[in-house]
Amino acid sequence: MSNLAILPILLPLLTGIMLVFINKQKTLVKVITGIMVFVNLAVVSWIGSVVFQEGPLVLEAGDWPAPFGIVIVADQLAMVLVITTNLIAVASAFYAFRSLDEQRERYYFYALFQLLIAGVSGAFLTGDLFNLFVFFEVLLMASYGLIVLGGTKEQLRESLKYILINLFSSILFVTTVAFLYSVVGTVNMAQLAERVADVEQQGILTTIAILLFLVFATKGALFPLYFWLPRSYSAPPTVISALFGALLTKVGVYSILRVFSLIFIYKLEFTHQFFIYMAGFTILFGVIGALSTNNVKLIVAYNIIPAVGFMMAGIGVFSATALAGTIYYLVHDMIIKAALFFLVGTMAAISGTYDLRKMGGLIKHHPLLGWMFFIAALALAGLPPFSGFIGKFLLLKGAVEEDHYGIVAVGLIGSLLILLSIIKIFLNGFWGEARLAPEQEKASENGRLFPVALLLIFTIALGLGAEFFYPGIQGIADSLVDPSIYIDAVIKE
Amino acid sequence: MKNVTNDLILKTATTIIVFLILGFSVYLFFAGHNAPGGGFIGGLMTSGAFVLLYIAYGFQTMNRVVKIDFKTFIPIGLTIAVLSGVGSFLYGQPFLSHTDGYFHLPIIGKAHLATAMIFDLGVYFTVIGVTMTIILSIAKDEGEQVENAE
Amino acid sequence: MIQLLSIVSTVCLTVIAVSTLFLLYRAIKGPSNPDRAVALDTIGVNLMAITGILAIKLKTTFFNDVILLIGILAFIGTVALAKFLEKGVIIERSRD
Repeated sequence: MSNLAILPILLPLLTGIMLVFINKQKTLVKVITGIMVFVNLAVVSWIGSVVFQEGPLVLEAGDWPAPFGIVIVADQLAMVLVITTNLIAVASAFYAFRSLDEQRERYYFYALFQLLIAGVSGAFLTGDLFNLFVFFEVLLMASYGLIVLGGTKEQLRESLKYILINLFSSILFVTTVAFLYSVVGTVNMAQLAERVADVEQQGILTTIAILLFLVFATKGALFPLYFWLPRSYSAPPTVISALFGALLTKVGVYSILRVFSLIFIYKLEFTHQFFIYMAGFTILFGVIGALSTNNVKLIVAYNIIPAVGFMMAGIGVFSATALAGTIYYLVHDMIIKAALFFLVGTMAAISGTYDLRKMGGLIKHHPLLGWMFFIAALALAGLPPFSGFIGKFLLLKGAVEEDHYGIVAVGLIGSLLILLSIIKIFLNGFWGEARLAPEQEKASENGRLFPVALLLIFTIALGLGAEFFYPGIQGIADSLVDPSIYIDAVIKE
Repeated sequence: MKNVTNDLILKTATTIIVFLILGFSVYLFFAGHNAPGGGFIGGLMTSGAFVLLYIAYGFQTMNRVVKIDFKTFIPIGLTIAVLSGVGSFLYGQPFLSHTDGYFHLPIIGKAHLATAMIFDLGVYFTVIGVTMTIILSIAKDEGEQVENAE
Repeated sequence: MIQLLSIVSTVCLTVIAVSTLFLLYRAIKGPSNPDRAVALDTIGVNLMAITGILAIKLKTTFFNDVILLIGILAFIGTVALAKFLEKGVIIERSRD
């Protein structure tokens, strides 16, 4: 019994509810949001340190013993992701203070933001497949609210697509959970793992696994289910795009990682081989999309897709090294995607357009912004010494060890093209002939760079401090390869 | 407005029926957790009663009588529901732990009360808030500008 | 006696189910909107009847609440539909 495990969900939820009450006092809302994101970060870091020292915390809600009640499992993997989520929440909150217009703030932006954080944390922490669905719905509800916030024409058009695709995948999700329940008679992930292991994933279980994969692939934007993502993620204001890009797809990837490292691991030659092909196509098609456009925000949005492909490759290879790479890359990508969206948003705020062809010469008057973007671009492409390099290196090393040379080649080509797509922004936007109007030259970044700096410090720390972080991440990956650790933590006989 | 009628039958019937529905919703609410019923369906019934009132009397009259913003019901309900779960922290029990017992109440007599009912109360308020907000904002949306757009 | 009850309830269930199907046809085709309104209201009544007969067949009292519930919802729905057909608006802004 430990109530600590529920706090990462409860605190944002309570804050969100409180913010609805005091919605009229705008300054108070901002002050409380600002304080609570830091409190959250402190609390989850503390819980994380407890988890890393003493092993997973398991909360049996309502005191019902594990396979029967609902469990919240704060293990190392979940806590790493929850801490990253809250880090991004801090940066997003402060970016929102600086960039969001008053109308959107009045229509409950900060409350929805807190609910989104609660939903994402819940999805990471739950130890129950049906509850995973519930938390998916919580975060989707919040994201529906956020994506239409402001109600511009483009947002309304994209939100319709977004809501339809997510409704469809939610229906498929709950149907699949029902299928699974009718076959094995439980939705508790630990007990599912035990029971699927008993029958060695025979018969219909693999079909159910693939259905589940399709659901998560839709949420996580894998090939060929990514078509809805770039435009709907780039329609809302920058801070909302950053939240979506950094958190939502990663929840899908996390679900795949959890389900296919814990439960369905007895038909590796079929399911995980299939993942590697999917990963290869995802990387290639995502990058091609990123190269095809001149809209800076769309380039960053398209770059979400190959990143998901890299993580999938690690899950597909399924060795301890590759999984460590996936987790490293997951954390890195959450941070760097938020940072890139913020940077691109700042660029657009200064130059007044998202179109790359109309920008140019920004670095002359905004050198800090330019060099920050350069660092972020290098980190995204995975050049040393930044965090992306460590993740990609581990992934490719794992793939080579297991003789998956095809995906290594695709990964390397993909990285190169990612670098090309993102450096295009740098070359055209920051270098080249200056096209700023005089008042734009003097325009200040309006304090938008502080949250970005915070995120960039963490990517550099993750890269340079790999010596410090790597053993922990490798430990998580080792425990993922051996499901019995998770099962024993949840079900105590 | 093409047909200006007085709806005498509807209004007279509504005044009686609304109280029947409200009574039934309270019954459903208390029947919860042992028999069919509970906060969700109780809340739906209550908002059904309110909708009937709105149909019979229109916005203007209802806004004079019911001076509540149904939107505030949502956070109130959520707070009650979440805090009922947090309450178990005080007793060192896991989140959402629930306890029950038999009490002797005046008038009603022996009653079975459970803390799950507090959670249900939160659900009840939230459902009323959400349902009424949805229905009223759709009904208000009539091409003309929404007055008091908050 | 018990057997007779069982036969009667089965026959009733079948007849009501068939009549619901016809009503569904009327609700979709229904040359005019009042036809549809009446059809929908009668579907509600039929639903109550089906629930009642099911309660007899399954020997349970739990369905009594359900019957009342469907009744109330069907009533509100019919009132709203009738008001819409009569006035073109369900909730009026003011009484005049």
